[in-house]
Amino acid sequence: MIHDEQFGTPQRRNALMGAILVIFAVLMVRLYQLQLLYHGELDKKSEENSIRALIKEPIRGYIYDRTGKLVVDVGPSYTVMIVPEEFDKRTMPLLSSLLDMEPRAIDERISRARAYSPYLPSRLKRDIGFESLAALEEHLPLLSGISYQVESKRSYPTNALAPHLLGYSREISDAQLSHVGEYYRQGDVIGTAGLEARYEPALRGERGFEYVSVNSRGQIIGSFEEGMRDVVSKEGFDLILGMDVELQAFAESLMTVNRYSGAMVAMDPSNGAILAMVSKPDFDPSILSGVTPSELWARLNTDAQKPLFNRAALTRYPPGSTFKMVLAAAALEGGIINEKTRINCTGGFRFGNRVWKDLHVHGSTNVVEAIQRSCNVFFYQLMFKVGFDTWTEYGRKFGFGKPTGIDTGEETTGLLPSAQYYDTRYGKGKWTLGYTVSLAIGQGELGVSPLQMVRYVAALANGGTMLRPHAVMFVNNKSTGKIEEVEHEKTPLGISAKTMELIREGMRRVVQEPGGTASLARVKGIESAGKTGTSENPHGDDHAWYVGFAPFEHPTIAIAVMLENSGYGGSKAAPLAGMVVEKYLYRQLRRPIPRPAAPKPDSVATLTESLRGNP
Amino acid sequence: MIEYLKEYFDFKAFFLCLALVGMGLISVYSATYDAGAAATFDRQLIWAGGGFVFLLVMAFFPIKTLQRIAFPTYILMLGMLLVVLVVGKTTSGSKSWFGFAGLGGQPSEFAKVATILALAAFLSRTTTSLSNVRHLVIAAGIVLIPIALILAQPDLGTAVVFFIMLLPILYWAGAPNFILAAIFAPIIVAAGALFGTFALLFTLTLAGTMLYWTRENRFAAAVAFGVTLAIGLSVQTVYDRMPAYQQKRIATFLNPELDPRGAGYNVVQSKVAIGSGGVFGKGYLQGTQTQLNFIPEQWTDFIFCVPGEEFGFAGGSLVLLCFTGLLLHGVHVANLSKNKFASAAAIGIIGVFATHMLINIGMSMGILPVIGIPLPFLSYGGSALIANMAMVGLLMNFYSNRKDR
Repeated sequence: MIHDEQFGTPQRRNALMGAILVIFAVLMVRLYQLQLLYHGELDKKSEENSIRALIKEPIRGYIYDRTGKLVVDVGPSYTVMIVPEEFDKRTMPLLSSLLDMEPRAIDERISRARAYSPYLPSRLKRDIGFESLAALEEHLPLLSGISYQVESKRSYPTNALAPHLLGYSREISDAQLSHVGEYYRQGDVIGTAGLEARYEPALRGERGFEYVSVNSRGQIIGSFEEGMRDVVSKEGFDLILGMDVELQAFAESLMTVNRYSGAMVAMDPSNGAILAMVSKPDFDPSILSGVTPSELWARLNTDAQKPLFNRAALTRYPPGSTFKMVLAAAALEGGIINEKTRINCTGGFRFGNRVWKDLHVHGSTNVVEAIQRSCNVFFYQLMFKVGFDTWTEYGRKFGFGKPTGIDTGEETTGLLPSAQYYDTRYGKGKWTLGYTVSLAIGQGELGVSPLQMVRYVAALANGGTMLRPHAVMFVNNKSTGKIEEVEHEKTPLGISAKTMELIREGMRRVVQEPGGTASLARVKGIESAGKTGTSENPHGDDHAWYVGFAPFEHPTIAIAVMLENSGYGGSKAAPLAGMVVEKYLYRQLRRPIPRPAAPKPDSVATLTESLRGNP
Repeated sequence: MIEYLKEYFDFKAFFLCLALVGMGLISVYSATYDAGAAATFDRQLIWAGGGFVFLLVMAFFPIKTLQRIAFPTYILMLGMLLVVLVVGKTTSGSKSWFGFAGLGGQPSEFAKVATILALAAFLSRTTTSLSNVRHLVIAAGIVLIPIALILAQPDLGTAVVFFIMLLPILYWAGAPNFILAAIFAPIIVAAGALFGTFALLFTLTLAGTMLYWTRENRFAAAVAFGVTLAIGLSVQTVYDRMPAYQQKRIATFLNPELDPRGAGYNVVQSKVAIGSGGVFGKGYLQGTQTQLNFIPEQWTDFIFCVPGEEFGFAGGSLVLLCFTGLLLHGVHVANLSKNKFASAAAIGIIGVFATHMLINIGMSMGILPVIGIPLPFLSYGGSALIANMAMVGLLMNFYSNRKDR
């Protein structure tokens, strides 16, 4: 039975009020949860929803040579972008045909892009041609989530290639992405070799962001907070090289026309700036700008001629006779010989029951003549007088067996043997001094790179200062607006002027005097100095070496030439060096050098002419 | 003078209502603040004016007359619900609109008022007793007929609200706890069945306990439990045999976030909007979710996002406080009323507001399923606004005449 008293009883009033308060409490707690506890997370989501950061890629830095010529330029490249969340799968066939990309490849790109962010644009395809761009642009209204951006790609306006020095940049790999830090995103281009890699942080600049508001369909409504939060991109810094691009092109063409494989490095002996660095065979770096087809990349990597291999910095062959000055310096500095000491060259050297032969019988020879004529016997004898340890010590002083510290990328440490090295290699007491005899003339277990050689000859040229070879002289810092000089250390060798004078005189005679081995390196009107070498190669033809500098009194160029499997240094390497020196000096001086009436040798003149026409 | 006015004029209800309507106008303006949408705000403003007139009319309408015309009005509303089924306009899939001479209306909004008044009138008759089965059936009929007509539109949300909002009236009017328990038990068990066996067992235990506690005789309790059990089991059986896509549809109804790009999209965006508001909000007209249209049809069902996003916790709790104040005041008025019709009607009105508020705001904050019903006073929509303001007018009326029998 229900009684009338049941209508609107105080208990029921209280129960209803209680229910209302419970509802209020539940909603308040939820409101508190959302707006205070989860605020951070939800606020982030709302920003992701409604704010898009449009990436403004900076222009990569330019690279100039020492004369101000643009060596590495930047041109436009069109990159197709995709916002995964906005892309409509139904438009896949259209997109696929416009980009000439398999739907599967697009799908894969999208899923990688999604992993980065479903709401932010990621690169879909880089460097589409202008015609593809025009076609794409026409269909853009149909393709939701697709856009394009203008990026930069490298172009090379000069005749020079210098791919090993300049390097190249490629799309970042997954492996790189995992360790290069926060800055990079999938699809970014990163310097992977040469200067592009070494100076990546300076060259790349800093990307900027333009924040825009978008509606729920992802359409841009306008700028976000009037652009107050936008970050302007910072242009990459320009590099100004020590390279003389004309000299570089000339040196490259010399190698090319002779079909030489090898390397040539020219350096300013006053500061270590690389004037030219050639490694042949090489490749045109412009094929790696923009998008590199994987077949091309595979071909470059597997080519038997190893075009990617930088022979200037990475080869380590015995230097042959070009190394003799190291021993001469050690002997002169140690007081073991002086300028008057004479050693009789009988055309052979006996140690134990083995005989090392010389090519000629030089008779009584002092150190200057021994260098001039490249007398082996003189140096065989010297090796024992000086001692192996001292020889190693002087080799190290001249920078062998360690990296030069060049700023262009990978290089070899080379091999400079020491007693410790032989102990490890053959066992203590299991090797004899006979092992070291060949080292006296730069043969045997000795490995040097052309780069180490040019550093060594530059120190001889400048009278005893070891320089760090470097390609970059100045960086145009776009943030400060200042052109900053890149400092490089100089290490004095601590070798007396007297010793230097004798060695340099020997080297001068190598080129300038009858009986010298490098008469083919002569440049009319300029006194040069140098030393030839022939690196004995048990696997094939010998490698030809030449190191030298000019002008003799106040050298402005030091050069090392190494030609693989081409025979004698004096006949192959020396003439190339002579032509490079001439090309450099005659143009640089810009005034007639006092010299005989007939200027350049015909061969050089015609060769130069033919090269200009056909670089 | 003020003391005198206070005796006869319900300032509380009046100002709380004005505050809510004001916040509603502000929110609708913001939600539709872009090109060409000013018309929406203008219309809402006009309707608020119309609502104000209705409020005043209802505040001074003689209660006895109201009681007398309650039943005829109810019949008239049923007729209109029927008409709308036949000739009504179809909006978003259901025929709930009624339009003539350039004016449109949703009869179901007015049907709420009419049903409450009819039920209140019936329950307040001295002869009515809810322990009388015949009377109980009539009371149930008064509720169920409009529900059936609304379901036929089909408008599930409004039907559910209709059902739930009438429970407080029955409770207030003295329905035995057992009756209420018997109504509730199958509902919670059916819901539990959708969440799996564990939830089914849990809700069955709960229902059994409820029925046991409120039992007046064991037989009725046992029958009610049997029915409850049968409903629970059949819901589970039907659910298990449903094709997967239908199961998914039910699952996403219960938990919209299972389908964030589809059914759950609004809820996810709405939660983001409210949550990103923080303590003081992003500022008026500065809410990115609101201004960039991330929440479809925000000005109607998801209007709560606007105060939530643009005025933050401060704004959101102000809305909740105003509602809660109005509701508590309503119960207070019902309690004061000597007139049983007025008292029951007041609770009915409170039931409507409370149900809408709970479901709508709960849905916006992702704790209740998405049932498309408006938030009283705030959501855009003329019929609802006018009906709700008229109901506040009734509350004021009941307050003024609380001492009359």
